[in-house]
Amino acid sequence: MTPLIQLTGVGKTLKGQGEPRSILSGVDMTLHAGESVAILGRSGSGKSTLLSLIGLFDRPDDGQYLLHGNDISRIAERRAARLRSAEFGFVFQRFFLLKHLTAMQNVAMALVNGQGWAARRRRRARVMAALDQVGVAHLAKQRPPRLSGGEQQRVAIARALVREPRILLADEPTGALDTETGALVIDVLHAATERGCGLVLVTHDHAHANRMGRVLRLNDGVLVTERAGVSV
Amino acid sequence: MALSGRFRSALVIGLQGIRARKLRTFLSMISLFLGVLAVIVVQTSSVLANRELLTDIELSEGKDGTVVISMPPNEQTAPVVLDALRGRADAVGVVETNAIIGEPGVTPINPGAMPLKYADQGGGATKMICDNNMCYPEPSTEAPPPRGQAIEVRLVALTGDIRPFRPFPTVSGSWLDFTGAASFAPRLVLNNEAADAFTRYRLPAEMRMDSARAHSTPQVIGTIHDGQAQPTVYMRLDELVNWIPASTLGTSSGLTVLRTQSAGAVEQYLQAKLSPTSPFFPRTVDSRERIGGQLDMMRWIFYGMAALVLLIGIAGILNVGLATVGERVEEFALRRAVGTPRLLLAGIVLAETLIIGLLTAATAIGTGVVGLQLGSRLFGGNHPSLQNVGFPWEAGVAGVAAGLVAGILGGLLPAIRAARIPIATVMRA
Ligand SMILES: Nc1ncnc2c1ncn2[C@@H]1O[C@H](COP(=O)(O)OP(=O)(O)OP(=O)(O)O)[C@@H](O)[C@H]1O
Ligand SMILES: [Mg+2]
Repeated sequence: MTPLIQLTGVGKTLKGQGEPRSILSGVDMTLHAGESVAILGRSGSGKSTLLSLIGLFDRPDDGQYLLHGNDISRIAERRAARLRSAEFGFVFQRFFLLKHLTAMQNVAMALVNGQGWAARRRRRARVMAALDQVGVAHLAKQRPPRLSGGEQQRVAIARALVREPRILLADEPTGALDTETGALVIDVLHAATERGCGLVLVTHDHAHANRMGRVLRLNDGVLVTERAGVSV
Repeated sequence: MALSGRFRSALVIGLQGIRARKLRTFLSMISLFLGVLAVIVVQTSSVLANRELLTDIELSEGKDGTVVISMPPNEQTAPVVLDALRGRADAVGVVETNAIIGEPGVTPINPGAMPLKYADQGGGATKMICDNNMCYPEPSTEAPPPRGQAIEVRLVALTGDIRPFRPFPTVSGSWLDFTGAASFAPRLVLNNEAADAFTRYRLPAEMRMDSARAHSTPQVIGTIHDGQAQPTVYMRLDELVNWIPASTLGTSSGLTVLRTQSAGAVEQYLQAKLSPTSPFFPRTVDSRERIGGQLDMMRWIFYGMAALVLLIGIAGILNVGLATVGERVEEFALRRAVGTPRLLLAGIVLAETLIIGLLTAATAIGTGVVGLQLGSRLFGGNHPSLQNVGFPWEAGVAGVAAGLVAGILGGLLPAIRAARIPIATVMRA
């Protein structure tokens, strides 16, 4: 079976004013449909950088990136935007909900982004389904400032899910939440993998990492396997 | 399909942004409002001024395209012209002379047919003598007759209806009727100035002319507006020749023929008859072009000033736009993360400023329409040209264009900034 994602020898070098600094080097990683992977690592080890390469925010300087077997290592920004919209769902530590929009509008944002246009009714149905999946459908009309952190993060996850992405990328999604609420958010993400979504979770929390199929660790830009999955 | 989806997305998101920042939107609108209003005011006044000047010139010189020909001054001229143009609608002969209407044996109150507002200033009772170029006091040794109830008028005698060339609006009564036989009591149509004089000085109806066979008793049949400051009366040329021999008319006073573009044959006929050796020098009226040139200079100065005010407004939009983009860095990074293309992101920012620009234009145009109506109602009494003026469509177009330009110029830089925000911002915030 073709993996969702296959990284081979991926590297990222930062070329700032001073010396070029290697942030990631020789990263190999595979992700299959329905599989979940946790990435651990010290602060500054390059976790977010790796996620931003996988999510096509940026392109790698070395190595190869295959998405469904297609090489997208040097893809142009226009196509990257289309793929971000169609293939990926993103969840961040801070929820990044827009304060002036309701929960519904925040979720609909992923649909009203210039990548295709659905009729208002169909859009609404999809938004409500996504909110329902994460258990906050009753808060659809609320604006973010009136929601709790856990509720906000769940709305953000609904925004990530509304396009039915094949890959979910989460960068410390529980970082701003208490343990219990965090566990709830991990539940929601986990449920998505049961529907065939691939999940990459960056976290500092071993308890959350242990619920993933595999655990990887980044040591100063080098990716090592900490616990292999059952199937690998 | 994809394009309309993007367009709608930009519009939806732009409107959301505007609704979320009503106060800012309002502030940028205020800064832009004066600029757009300035453009509208300049355009309106330029159109109205042009229109009014053109109307005045049409009354005094003729509509554009009218061919004006001065006839040679000789004894045959008046009889030949009268004969050739009788009953024609495409050419009209015009003789101008002076006449005195009122009490016999006195000096008119406005010697030389000067405008009546100067009538009482003319010191003494010197008789003025006017030729084609100027008026000057008569170098007379004997004392002139005393001033009395009489005015001097410019007398314009016509072979036919002049209004196809110079569209005089009728103020009251009727215009000259050129059908039917000439009457011995000459029928007169007055311009406003002459009509004023008649009501103000209650003149007895007797008319004197130099070289007239006898004094005549005219009947006034109507009043028209001809845009002239001099008191002027219009009459049929064939009625005038009952009093002044046609052979002297053509020599002492100027005789002019106005014709349409297509009536060249008449000119050729007159040329052959009156001046077979030396050619006529016809002149075609082209006021629109000439006035355009004269007004252009002024117009561009005012446009320049309006553009300056507009520029301040644009700076206002730009300022607010840049601040807003700075504040929305995370929003734009997030939008890019969920797949919004950079171009659309720039489009969203531009859509917001364009909507602001157009809203402002609409407000300014509304203000212009209301202002013009108010002004017309307040000042229409003193300035007839301000009565019933409609808001010129050109000013509307200029306002919308100013709004669009402001929206584009004010939004361009913020749009470029927005499109350049790196997506990874969302991970480092
Ligand atoms: N745009 C950038 N400019 C400068 N340095 C950068 C940039 N992006 C990444 N880095 C550097 O790359 C390294 C990895 O950053 P990254 O954000 O991936 O770490 P991280 O593992 O996500 O850390 P954390 O757990 O604190 O989020 C850091 O040393 C960081 O300073
Ligand atoms: Mg990070």
